[in-house]
Amino acid sequence: MSWLSRLLPGSGPDLSPEQQASLAAITRHPGPDLGRSHFETRYVIVNAESRPMDGGGQRLIGVGAVAINRGLLHPAESFRAELASAPADALLGLLHFIAKAPLVVYNAPFNQGILERGFEQNLGNVPAMEWLDLMVIMPSLYPERIAGQASMDAWLSAFGIERLDRHDAVLEALAVAQLHQVALARAKAQGLNAPQDLLESQTSRKWLRGS
Amino acid sequence: MVTTAPDTLIRTNLDFLRRHPPFDRMEGEALHFLGERLATAFYPADSEILMPEDGPPSFFYIVYRGKVQARQVGGVAVTEYATLTLGPGEGFPIGAISAGRPSTNGYLAVEDTYCFQLPAADFLHLQEISPSFQLFCTRYIASLLNQSREQLQIQFSQRAAEQQTMTTSLSSLVKKAPVFVPPGLSTRTALEKMVEAGVGCMAVAGDDDKPVGVLTQSDILKRIVLPGFDLARPIADVMTAPPHTLGSNASAYDAALEMATHGVRHILVVDAEDKLKGVISERDLFALQRIGLRQIRSSIESAADVQALQRASQDIRQLALNLLAQGIGAEQLTQFISALNDALTRRIIELNLDRHDLYGVEYAWLAFGSEGRHEQTLSTDQDNGIIYVLPEWADKEPLKLRLLEFARDVNNDLASCGFPLCTGNIMASNPDLCLTIDEWRERFGTWIREPHPEALLNATIFFDFRVLFGDEKLAYKLRHWLLSMTGGNPAFLKAMATNALDVSPPLGKIRDFVIDDDPKYPGTIDLKKFGARLFVDAARVLALRTGVEATSTVQRLRQGGGRIGMPAEELAAMADGFHFIQLLRLRHQHLDTDHGAPGDNRVKPDDLNELDRRILKEAFRQARKIQLRLKLDYQI
Repeated sequence: MSWLSRLLPGSGPDLSPEQQASLAAITRHPGPDLGRSHFETRYVIVNAESRPMDGGGQRLIGVGAVAINRGLLHPAESFRAELASAPADALLGLLHFIAKAPLVVYNAPFNQGILERGFEQNLGNVPAMEWLDLMVIMPSLYPERIAGQASMDAWLSAFGIERLDRHDAVLEALAVAQLHQVALARAKAQGLNAPQDLLESQTSRKWLRGS
Repeated sequence: MVTTAPDTLIRTNLDFLRRHPPFDRMEGEALHFLGERLATAFYPADSEILMPEDGPPSFFYIVYRGKVQARQVGGVAVTEYATLTLGPGEGFPIGAISAGRPSTNGYLAVEDTYCFQLPAADFLHLQEISPSFQLFCTRYIASLLNQSREQLQIQFSQRAAEQQTMTTSLSSLVKKAPVFVPPGLSTRTALEKMVEAGVGCMAVAGDDDKPVGVLTQSDILKRIVLPGFDLARPIADVMTAPPHTLGSNASAYDAALEMATHGVRHILVVDAEDKLKGVISERDLFALQRIGLRQIRSSIESAADVQALQRASQDIRQLALNLLAQGIGAEQLTQFISALNDALTRRIIELNLDRHDLYGVEYAWLAFGSEGRHEQTLSTDQDNGIIYVLPEWADKEPLKLRLLEFARDVNNDLASCGFPLCTGNIMASNPDLCLTIDEWRERFGTWIREPHPEALLNATIFFDFRVLFGDEKLAYKLRHWLLSMTGGNPAFLKAMATNALDVSPPLGKIRDFVIDDDPKYPGTIDLKKFGARLFVDAARVLALRTGVEATSTVQRLRQGGGRIGMPAEELAAMADGFHFIQLLRLRHQHLDTDHGAPGDNRVKPDDLNELDRRILKEAFRQARKIQLRLKLDYQI
């Protein structure tokens, strides 16, 4: 599908009535109050699994996600889907799991980009979401550990977090989630009490870096 | 077939558990039960994970990565170690969670630490399904010196109250000018003077009034009568020299210590220039302690009938008065009033159990309202109820009747010991307040689902429940259920918050304070309605919102406020404000009210001194601050 065809009326992915109803249910779902404390916020950490495409670029083939609720990471609160057979259903499942919670990724330009493209291609318009990028936030919270932009491995090893299997999207999300717990502890100590505060701090940080 | 995400995460939990005892030996099914219920939390270095004040622990913790230090809190040793470091695979607090009581240790992360957390109910279930884990826990608990929480609490509160009385300075204890003789005086004359003055101890001092020796009654027999000492010889030859002296700024406690250390019964008190100012005897110190906390407590515990308890309740009031006069803080004072009243109530219940056979019945005596929050003053009436379990084989009506008859006797005995019967009939003898755990849940549930004004008023009284006697686990279950109902119910919390904001702090725009326009009480402020309650109501909303189990206002502020990221200093300032208002209420009730009108919380700001007025104003500002927070959070 070319980028132009999306602009044409009546185009976009063909969704079954059930899928459309499912998407509408998510759109209707009231979003959380981002001014609430971290403790009262459910965060969802997502990780995209991709494969290089012929002719360049990456194609989304799977997603893993885990939630942090009341500061806790519970095994039942996790999600995995492969896009191979029914990509629209897989992504609808992910959106239901997210339930409009603020999203956390490591390296947004990659993860957020590829996921948003996946949503657009398979579902068309999806509700807007809030994204937090630990790659941007961590250096501002822990400048004494690593001052500038660094790789995910560098941050994980700074806090002794194991990267159990980099080919498993859920375990990757688990590692990022543990890093996010570290981020939240320092954020609270710095008076950044709510997701709103982190989002604002991220925006000003990006602004400073000119990206 | 793709592994589901939860399976992947549970597998990583299991991989960890299998590497660490006692989980490496755990039965497969039990291990899986554990693995799928472990949630992970992060604690940065130097942060508190679990403290005794948190109440019965909600979670069993297993260190996943990092280091946790268990520290004794307070000076009373419960275990052989003072600190103990726990590493990956080690769990805590096994004893506290098994017994459903607050931890005696504080647990702190000494480095960045991840912990697995298992809900307390699941921990207990795990012991049931895993014999190997149960054995492990039993051995662990047996290795602790088993001291119950009650004993610890007694020791802490006793010390607080005793230190207060025992910090009285010796200068304020010396009542009479000292009787003393010069060292050159004949022993006979000195003894005659002793008889004349009626003292048990004769001080010997030079012309400069500086003491050089002492002769006590007990010395007379051993040193004079039996050896046939020549009474014409000077007293200097037979006195104890040098005498034990203490400065007049020293405390009663110092004197007691000096007496105990040297085995003497008298201490000479001297001023800054070492001149003799007086003599303190063991008996003087004893008099000071006559209505000490320990004495009242033991008289309560050994009381054989209600008459003896009535005397004890008078003593509690007297002690409160003494401590107030000495300037003890509101926090300590309310704590120990609460501790003594608890003991009194327990004893009344025990005495009634001799006449009412409740053997085998699972029940607990609940306190509500200010008593439930450990915040009662001496003029609060009874607010209590009963929670019980109806065994499958039992008929409800006969059992309930037995409980009600028992409750009626307890209520009447409490009334005769100075806790007036509740005019609103919030008492355990009321059939509506003697309920099974399911009935309590249903009642609470209705209030939460339909928060009309009366339901909200009830919530402010009954949600602050606490067990005074009986099975603590019943209340614990009810509390967990309640917090799970309220935590995720913004509509109810908003209704509670709106209710809490009904009354504003009486701060004036032009004058300092807004005073009551009721012509019956000109120029006064009701410190309960317009003061304490503002803090209490706001703290309750915070606790219900964030799942804090503690019922006391200060703990709710500290823990609940911490959870939503309010700075610790801000919370401490709010707690100070609340304490000050409580102190003014107590002072007013005990020192200023001669007519003994119960529940008089009305204070005239004009009668306060300048300093108190300023602090009161600041306290109201703190109340406004916490109300503002509620307004913002719930957009009211």
